[in-house]
Amino acid sequence: MPVNPTKTKLVIEHKHEVPLMSCVFSPNGKHLLAGGRDSGVVCVEVASGKKTMLTGHESWVGDMARACDDLVLTSDYVGGVIAWDCSGELPALRWKIAAHPSTIRALAVSADGKTFATGDRDGTVRLWQSSNGKRMREFPKNEHPIYGLALHPDGKRIITADRRPQKPTIQVWDIASGKELLKIEVPELSGYRRVEDIEWGGIRSLTLSPDGSLIMACGRAGYDGPASMLLYDIASGKLHRKLSSTLKGFCYSARCHRDGWVMAASGEIAKGEFRAWKSDQDKSLADTATAGPCSALDIHPDSSRFAVTQAIGKSSYPETGVLAIYEWQA
Amino acid sequence: MQPNLTRRQAIARTLGLAGAAAMAPSALAASPHRKQLLVLFLSGGASQLETWDPKPGTKFGGPFRAINTSLDGVRIGELLPRTAKIMHRLAVVRSVNSNLPDHEKGHYAIQAGRLAPGYPVLGSAVAKLLEQPGDVLPGYITLRRDGPKAYTDTGDAGFLGAKYEGVRVINGLPPDNLIVPAGINAAALQTRDAVRRAADERFLRTHAKAPINGYGTNFDQARALMQRREIFDLKVESPKDIERYGRHDFGQNCMLARRLLEAGVPCVRVVHFDWDAHQDNFYWHQMRCAEFDRTFVTLLDDLEQRGMLEHTLVVVTGEMGRTPQINNFGGRDHWGRAWSVAMAGCGIKHGVVHGMTNDLGTEVKEDEVGIGDLFHTYLTALGIDSSADYHLNGQTNPVADPAARPIKAVLA
Repeated sequence: MPVNPTKTKLVIEHKHEVPLMSCVFSPNGKHLLAGGRDSGVVCVEVASGKKTMLTGHESWVGDMARACDDLVLTSDYVGGVIAWDCSGELPALRWKIAAHPSTIRALAVSADGKTFATGDRDGTVRLWQSSNGKRMREFPKNEHPIYGLALHPDGKRIITADRRPQKPTIQVWDIASGKELLKIEVPELSGYRRVEDIEWGGIRSLTLSPDGSLIMACGRAGYDGPASMLLYDIASGKLHRKLSSTLKGFCYSARCHRDGWVMAASGEIAKGEFRAWKSDQDKSLADTATAGPCSALDIHPDSSRFAVTQAIGKSSYPETGVLAIYEWQA
Repeated sequence: MQPNLTRRQAIARTLGLAGAAAMAPSALAASPHRKQLLVLFLSGGASQLETWDPKPGTKFGGPFRAINTSLDGVRIGELLPRTAKIMHRLAVVRSVNSNLPDHEKGHYAIQAGRLAPGYPVLGSAVAKLLEQPGDVLPGYITLRRDGPKAYTDTGDAGFLGAKYEGVRVINGLPPDNLIVPAGINAAALQTRDAVRRAADERFLRTHAKAPINGYGTNFDQARALMQRREIFDLKVESPKDIERYGRHDFGQNCMLARRLLEAGVPCVRVVHFDWDAHQDNFYWHQMRCAEFDRTFVTLLDDLEQRGMLEHTLVVVTGEMGRTPQINNFGGRDHWGRAWSVAMAGCGIKHGVVHGMTNDLGTEVKEDEVGIGDLFHTYLTALGIDSSADYHLNGQTNPVADPAARPIKAVLA
């Protein structure tokens, strides 16, 4: 039964000691995991709301994704990846690897969950087996940090997004040959400032539409522009649509709902929102303001609920976090 | 010449005139034991928490780990792995409280050692205080990228006047017009120079001497640089050495700094830009620290191997630190109340960490150090009596803030 994106209801809200930056439901939907500005992984049992902390990382937990065999993969700022087996009552550490020598900025899992990719600050992209954390291959090094990754549902292509100054770039690669198939420059999401010679903006995450036809790049339109998401046709590389919030800040992450719309989490100083769009309409379907900047979201495997992470604090300095579960009503 | 002619104008005019009467290269050699100063200026303000004073696992500690160093019990940020191996050669002050979370004010104050305006910054002061008879090269040279941040150059010579203002070398290129234009022969240059000197002499009869003499020195310095423009030619360095320093502007400027020190320039400042990480502090410090770490250690190794560290003080500082608190965009903002500087080379104790911040890094807990104390310390390490006075134009001004003191704990 389709859900109504305009009708959302807060189910439960968990406060955390530090701002949160990532979240994901386990494949079986029993657990919700979240990470942020400490080395712990928050684990919430969805049915009971019971919260526990998982340990194993040595630094902030920046990204996470669900994989095959009830695994959830979490990555950290010093290059570590942990696979959590979520089949039991509590997630248990299945394996842990030192995947990169520097911060992992992007983590993506294939449609079948059997492989995953990691991208780091140094521009290195690696492909791994989900079941055991064994490295399958490494792609030619990008000169710029990798901030977005996606594995195409056809199993043959990997999409990367980097943070090169003035021209954040999306590239589609053939996994087998390592050849570049498509390159899309996305200057609209650049926040480059000559005065500092720093790219303050860039693509903050990548999402693919379920059929793999659209690449969705999250970020900010310019140095002080609105949180935005640019949708590109993967066949032609042409811009399909630019979706912008009224919020002046970054769109950090997006997820596609099975009913054909996409939802994004965005934040600016001391406020945030989540907002739903149809990919063929400029006007959003629904938006909900939040107390703090939204840094990530995930949709439950049953598509009836979703989770959002936030950073909470007065003015510019958030000191705590919130992990909230919402449900859509029919 | 107008009395209020800027130094840049003076240099430009000089370089159009000078040339034939250049001094012999042998006259440009530095005396063997001259003390020298190298300032590595981390412009924008590096985060003490990602560098010298990490607080891993604490509320504001950030994502990076602390690593062991060559000093027992001392750990620094993991973004400086090479530096960690030479900590026994450094003195680090972890308890600086400048209380100036502002670029322009901080730039001036940390370099002048006081808040009051009009005093010479460190490079100009050292150029004056280490001046020796027969010096012809500029006493103070700043090397930096062509960055638009004007506050990088604030301050300078103050009441010492144009003579000690320093020369700015942008993008590793020698100052404009160092090469005598084609078609200007030696005789023409001599004639022009004679005209300039005659004009100066006439001005001196009716105007204050100091500015005019200062401009005269500028001409001489420019002429000396013309004779030594090979200093700026990094192509003579081996590709391996260029790689060791790093092929970025900071690496190449540090290599040039070494060459200028070797040529006898008393003070060289290298500006490393873009530490002002109001957003994505951790991404940006990974990038900045990677450049700094490799270049800094390479530079110190080279200075040591050449015997230059025995008479060269190396200071690593910015105009401030960064907030322990992490903002909404993952950045750290301006912070002056608890931050760090480092030193190496002559006049200091090696393998010393002075001062302490509290557990969160928000305040100084022990052995607070102010900007004046640092200024006294730098001068003392260079063998300069920091309690002395300048006597200029009938006025007496203390070389360093009399209310501050050298930090004995870090001085040899």
